[in-house]
Amino acid sequence: MKRSMSALIGVMLLGTGLVACGGDDSATTSEAPGSEAPSTDAPSTDAPASEGVLNVPADYATIQEAVDAAVEGDLILIAPGTYNEAVQVTTNNIIIRGLDRNTVVLDGNFELDNGIRVVGANGVALENMTAMNYTKNGFFWTGVTGFRGDYLTAWRNGDYGVYVFDSVGGVIDHSYGAGSPDAGVYVGQCYPCDTLITNFTAEFNGLGYSGTNSGGNMVIVNSIFRNNRAGVVPNSGSYELCYPERKTTIIGNLVYNNNQPDTPAIDVALLAMGNGILNAGGVQNIIERNRVWNHNKTGIGLVPFLEEDASDVMPEKSAWEMTCAESKNLMPVQPEGPLLWDSQENTVRGNVLEDNRRADIAVASAGSDLWTLANCFEGNTFTTSAPLDLETLAPCGTPLSKDTGDWTAGDLNVITWLIDAETAPPSVDWKTANLPAIPVLDSMPDAATAPGVPASATPPAIDLDAITVPDKID
Amino acid sequence: MTRRTKSLLLAGSLFLFGSCASDSHDSKTHDHSAMPVDAASVMGEPDQPITGPQGRVGQFVVECPFSHALSDDPIIYPGDAGASHLHAFFGNVTADADSTLESLLDEGTTCEQTLDTASYWAPALLENGQLITPEKSIAYYRAGLGVDPESVVAFPAGLLMIAGDAMATEPQPTSVVAWSCGSAGMRDALPPSCPEDRGLRLDITFPDCWDGKNLDVAGHRKHMHYSSKGECPTTHPVPVPQLIFAVAYPVHGDASHLQLASGSLLTGHADFVNSWDQEKLEDEVALCIGRDIVCGVTSGRTSG
Repeated sequence: MKRSMSALIGVMLLGTGLVACGGDDSATTSEAPGSEAPSTDAPSTDAPASEGVLNVPADYATIQEAVDAAVEGDLILIAPGTYNEAVQVTTNNIIIRGLDRNTVVLDGNFELDNGIRVVGANGVALENMTAMNYTKNGFFWTGVTGFRGDYLTAWRNGDYGVYVFDSVGGVIDHSYGAGSPDAGVYVGQCYPCDTLITNFTAEFNGLGYSGTNSGGNMVIVNSIFRNNRAGVVPNSGSYELCYPERKTTIIGNLVYNNNQPDTPAIDVALLAMGNGILNAGGVQNIIERNRVWNHNKTGIGLVPFLEEDASDVMPEKSAWEMTCAESKNLMPVQPEGPLLWDSQENTVRGNVLEDNRRADIAVASAGSDLWTLANCFEGNTFTTSAPLDLETLAPCGTPLSKDTGDWTAGDLNVITWLIDAETAPPSVDWKTANLPAIPVLDSMPDAATAPGVPASATPPAIDLDAITVPDKID
Repeated sequence: MTRRTKSLLLAGSLFLFGSCASDSHDSKTHDHSAMPVDAASVMGEPDQPITGPQGRVGQFVVECPFSHALSDDPIIYPGDAGASHLHAFFGNVTADADSTLESLLDEGTTCEQTLDTASYWAPALLENGQLITPEKSIAYYRAGLGVDPESVVAFPAGLLMIAGDAMATEPQPTSVVAWSCGSAGMRDALPPSCPEDRGLRLDITFPDCWDGKNLDVAGHRKHMHYSSKGECPTTHPVPVPQLIFAVAYPVHGDASHLQLASGSLLTGHADFVNSWDQEKLEDEVALCIGRDIVCGVTSGRTSG
C-alpha cells in the first residue's frame, strides 16, 4: 500500500497445486535470455506460425525484442526458459503469454526493476508465466485502461507481486503473489476501478492485498490470503490521489493465519500485522461471506488510518462520488495537522470467523463516536467482538445511535497498535526471506493454441449472490 | 527522442566533467566566489514549491540509502580530496574528489534502481560536529511545473548540477531549498520540529532547463535555469527532468541546534552528477515523463 484471491470452485485448482507442490526447483534455471530452453514436458512449442504470433526465442531472442516488434492484436508466445529481462510495454492490445506458467521464468536477479511493466498501453494481457527476484514488481500496469493478468506467479519481488496503479478496467485471475514487503496484489488510485481480482493466492507478503484509494466496482472474490503479516488491507490516504478508498466488495475469500513473523514488510504491514481483513479508513465497502480465522488481532477490523504527513485535506462526503479523473484536478490544500481517516458506512455481513484473538469482528475510531461512523454488522458467525455485542450495537438497515447499547465495553484501542508495531518482529530482507518452495501451479489451458485476446476494459461479469462462504482448507 | 538526447550529449561531451577545474578550483584558497551570492539571479527559481499527493503527473522515483561521507566535492574541488566541507553521498558508492564520469559509470550504487549509478550529495547534517547519518535519499524525477512532459529529454551523460546556495546567510526560496517532516507538504526555510513518526527532510529542487551545450560551466550554474510558467528561457531552451532531491534524517523534535557542514541551517544545497546508465535514464524519461505516466511512488519502507 506504499506506506501500504479466491476460493470457491477455483480453490480446487489453486489448492491442489499449492498443496501438491514439492518445491520443484528445476522450474528455474540460470540460462541466459535467448538461450536454449530447458527441456520440460511443457506444451508443444511448435506454436502456430500464423500471422500475428511472435515466438520467443524462435523468432525473437528476447521478450523485449518481440514486444518492440509487435503491433496491436499480436500474440507473443514465450517458450520455457529463464529470461533476465525487464520488459517495457507501450503498445496497446498485445498479449504476452508463456507456454508454461512454471517454466517460463522472468528473473530480475535482484538487479532489474520490473518483470513486465505496461506503461500507459491499454488492453495489454499478461498470461501464464513467472516473475521473480525483481527489485520492484513482478507484473506492473500503470496509467492504462483495460488490463488482464491470468495465470501469473510473482515470487520474491522487492515491492509488489502484481501491481496495478492509476489504471481502470481489468481482471487479475488465477494468479499468485508471494514474498513481497508490500502486497502480493495491489490495485490503487482508481475510482471507479472496474476491476476484478479472483482466484488469487497471496502468501508470505507484508500485505496480502493492498488497495490505496481504490474502489468503485472493485471486486475481490474467491481468493486466498494467508500467512502474510496482514491479509486484506484497503486504505485511504492523501499521499496518493483519489481518496478515500471506497466501494470495494470483498466476498467469498479464505483469509487465515495472517500473523506471519518472518516476511519482508513495509512499515504499515508491521502496524497491520495480525489482522485478517483490515479496513483502514475505507468507506462504503462490502465485506461478506468470507471465512476468516486464526489472527492475533482482529478477523475483520474497521479501523482508522492515521496519516501524520498528510498532503491534502479530507474530501467532503459529497465528493466521494467524484471520479478519480475529476478529483485529480483539484488543487491540494495543506492541512493543519494529521488526518484521521475513519472507516465509515461499511457493511460486514455473513462472514464466518473463529479464533481471532482480540476480536472476530471489530470497529474502532480514534476520537469519533462509533455510532456516527455508520458501519454495520449482520449475520456473521463469530464469538468475540469489539466493542462487545457488536451486532446488537450496529445492525444493518437502521440508523445507529448511542442508545443501541454500551459502545465502550470491550472496545478496541488501536493506539496501542502503534506500540505493538515497534516490538513486532522486524522486516526481513525480501532478497533473503525464508520462503517455502515456489509452488508449481496450474498453467493456462491450451496456452500454445488458444487465440490471443486483448484485455477488455470491462471485467467479466460475476454472480456475487451465488458465492457462498468457502470451505476451510489446510 | 533518445536520439536527440544523444546528439546533444555528443556536443557536450567535450566538456568532460571536472575539466573546468581551473574555473572553480582556485588552488587552496577554496574560493567560493564563483558561487553566486544570489543563486536566483543566475538560475531563476521555480514559481512555487511542488508538493501535494504523488500521482498527479508522470514521474519516476529512486530511493538510495546513504552511501558514505567524505570531505570531498567532485564538482567544486575536483582532484582535491579533503578540501570540502563534509558531504553525505547517495547512489554511486565510489564518488569522491577524483570521480569522473568514466570512473562512476558501471560502479555500484546504493539505489534500489541498480541502473541509477548517478551520484547525489548534500552537506552533512551535524550535531555537535558529529555526522547524523541520513536514512536515505529520495529522488523524484518529473517535468517542471507546467512544462509540457513530451518536451522533456534526459540529462546528458556527465551533466553536473548544483541547487541551493552553500553560502546563504538569508532564507533561500523554499521552492529551491526547504525543510519538512516526512513527505508532508509544509516547506520551511529552517527545520521544523518533527514528530516521532516522521523524520526531518531536506528537500532540494534542481533546475529543469539546460542550455543544450554545456555539461558544466565556470561557477557550475549558468548552464542550468529554472522554468517559469511552464516555459524554459530561450537561453536554456532544453527542458530536462526536474529533480527534486530529498534527504531523510532520523531526526525528531527540536533541530535548531543542528548545523549543516556548509554552515548554518540556511545553507542547504545539493549536487548531482548524471552518471546514470544513460540508456535506462532515457527510457525512464521517455516512458514515464514523456508519456505522463506515474512509474512509481515512494516505498513504504523507513529505509532502503
